[in-house]
Amino acid sequence: MTYDSQRVAYAYFLAAVLLFGLQLVFGFLSLAKFLGPDPLLGVMNFATTKAIHTNLLLVWILTGFMGAAYYMVPEESRTEIWSTRLAYVQLALWLAIGVTTVVGYLFGITEGRKLLEMPLPLKFGVVVVMLLFLGNLLLTIRQAGRFTTTEGILIGGLTATALLFLPGLVHFDNYTLDRFYRWWVVHLWVEGVWELVMGAILAFLLIRLSGADREVMEKWLYVIVGLTFLSGILGTGHHYYWIGVPAYWLWIGGVFSALEPLAFLAMTIYAYTVIRRSGLGHPNAIAVHWTVGSALFSTLGAGLLGFAHTWPQVNRWTHGTHITTMHGHMAFFGAYAMIVLAIISYALPALTGVRDEQRQTRLGLAAFWLMVGGMFGMTMAIGAAGLTQTYLERIMGFGFLETQKKIQVHYLMWLATAVLFAGGAVAFLWDFVSAGPPKRLPAASRAS
Amino acid sequence: MTKATTRNFFFGGTIVFSAAFVLLTLQTHGTIAHRTHEEKLTAQVRRGGAVWARYNCENCHTLLGEGAYFAPDLTKIVEQRGAAYLAQFLDDPSRFYSEERDGRLMPTLGLSGEEIAEVVAFLGWVGQIDTNGWPPRPILVAGVAPRGMPGVSGVAESDRPESRGKALFDGAGACATCHSIESGVTLVGPALSGLVERSVERVQDPAYKGASKSPDDYLKESILAPSAFVTPGGRYATPEGTSLMPDTYSKTLKPEQVADLVAYLKTLR
Repeated sequence: MTYDSQRVAYAYFLAAVLLFGLQLVFGFLSLAKFLGPDPLLGVMNFATTKAIHTNLLLVWILTGFMGAAYYMVPEESRTEIWSTRLAYVQLALWLAIGVTTVVGYLFGITEGRKLLEMPLPLKFGVVVVMLLFLGNLLLTIRQAGRFTTTEGILIGGLTATALLFLPGLVHFDNYTLDRFYRWWVVHLWVEGVWELVMGAILAFLLIRLSGADREVMEKWLYVIVGLTFLSGILGTGHHYYWIGVPAYWLWIGGVFSALEPLAFLAMTIYAYTVIRRSGLGHPNAIAVHWTVGSALFSTLGAGLLGFAHTWPQVNRWTHGTHITTMHGHMAFFGAYAMIVLAIISYALPALTGVRDEQRQTRLGLAAFWLMVGGMFGMTMAIGAAGLTQTYLERIMGFGFLETQKKIQVHYLMWLATAVLFAGGAVAFLWDFVSAGPPKRLPAASRAS
Repeated sequence: MTKATTRNFFFGGTIVFSAAFVLLTLQTHGTIAHRTHEEKLTAQVRRGGAVWARYNCENCHTLLGEGAYFAPDLTKIVEQRGAAYLAQFLDDPSRFYSEERDGRLMPTLGLSGEEIAEVVAFLGWVGQIDTNGWPPRPILVAGVAPRGMPGVSGVAESDRPESRGKALFDGAGACATCHSIESGVTLVGPALSGLVERSVERVQDPAYKGASKSPDDYLKESILAPSAFVTPGGRYATPEGTSLMPDTYSKTLKPEQVADLVAYLKTLR
């Protein structure tokens, strides 16, 4: 940490990891209902717990992205944040909106569109938060007059995230049209502009963890994000196959989705090449693990497991089964959860005034391996459930309810591996808290 | 390769593919009204869409395969189950399913009669959307139809009437979705094992209120006018006495198909 105002990132990271923990609580509540019977039927239905589970995911990842930006931009532009007070006001407003939304869901107040359930007035609140956030960052960069490619990609990704939220404010009475434009938000976020944010954080971390040359790293960063948009924009088509749009989306979606793993594969090669050239002798072993882990796991979860069911002839049979659940879990974790946990692990020692060499790493590394192992197991369990479901329900003609009875064993495996994962999350949280509160930067070491 | 080259690759590619996406979107947008039969998107259907959203249905169910994977896909549900049954079901799902028997139960949402009619109209409209042939085979809520898929044109094993009727029963007629032929297995309508003996007894029974005089006529009447007489001892009708079975077969089946079905039903002892 070079600039005292980077400390605002700590508050964002704390909020992110706490919301992550809460997300898991609602994940377990939802999973318990798959195993049944449901003692909360009629009190807190699956629809409620599942909506809270997925919404908390989006909120904590975005909170992590915001914290990452407040940590990265001062270092990249070599200046203090324009207004730390505004950054705290923004966080308070953001969390207030989040809490209001979740409490609203518990009382059945919802817009009922998957992942965009937040009621419209609160969505306008999100727009205000994004404006405060981007305004603060842009004023920070303007006062410094220094603008790097890495932060350019970061700010570009975050600005596009804000802009692409706007189609989510529009509702169509025609269900097909409503679905069509809903994907502008959901797909173009997670398979488009969020990858810019991920790529920028990855580049920032690899440059610092390995000491690799910035010019080279930023050159290849353009290739990664170029591949993302080359494949991801028209790759939206794989969500369009069966919702009432013309059939030409089948081959457009199929071809460009097949290219989507390339961006993630490029990230893996990126990280691998850096390790080969410069080594990863950085003393923050936890951050090294999460950074390299994210590059690898995103290729597996978002890249390959995505491709596993986006080909139209495959998707015809798997559409709407647990195959999607399987991909969703590993993709979100590998690409976005892991990169946020990576930047948190990287920034934590500096934020709390501990030297990297002084950190005890056993707990942090245990958190890494438990979460990675747990998520790998969960993906296998849900994948087995999804394959069996596809075969029995879609091909053999067993009813939905009969099929669910036959895949209970996979739900038990899902539960067992989820417990491992949660153990890792608790270890991460414990490690985070035991690092102590954030410390002011000593006057002597501040940049002038 | 220089940084300027890769930067141009990024910006150039982004502009080209964004432009292509916007053009395709404009083209697609123009086809939706036709592909979704927008002329049938009545005020009631619109209100039904709002009911669907208000009760957060897609965080358990899928519709057009999109949503959550906790409850059955409802894309073709109105065609499969009929509006009369769905109205009864939505009023109180626990009358038809139990957690103990089925593993999962839909909560009673407290929908008004009007809301139920609206959401059923909405689901009926969605069922007519041109989905490029999805699902390739019908997705059932409950039951098993391994030998012939409801909604898929069955292929008769021989040219005998009962063989053609069986193909229709398992296939295009969708009968097997709701009627089991195993004794004691109730899907939605009554199980049809022992039907031959029952139809003989039925027409002689003083409690029978239908118009048929012979067992064959009774079977035909059950298909074409299900409300003429509802089998006692189950939840097969609304409180007003209307059968939950679709009453559309008189329009969708040809007379010779009905005759084939009756021939098949007469093999169920």
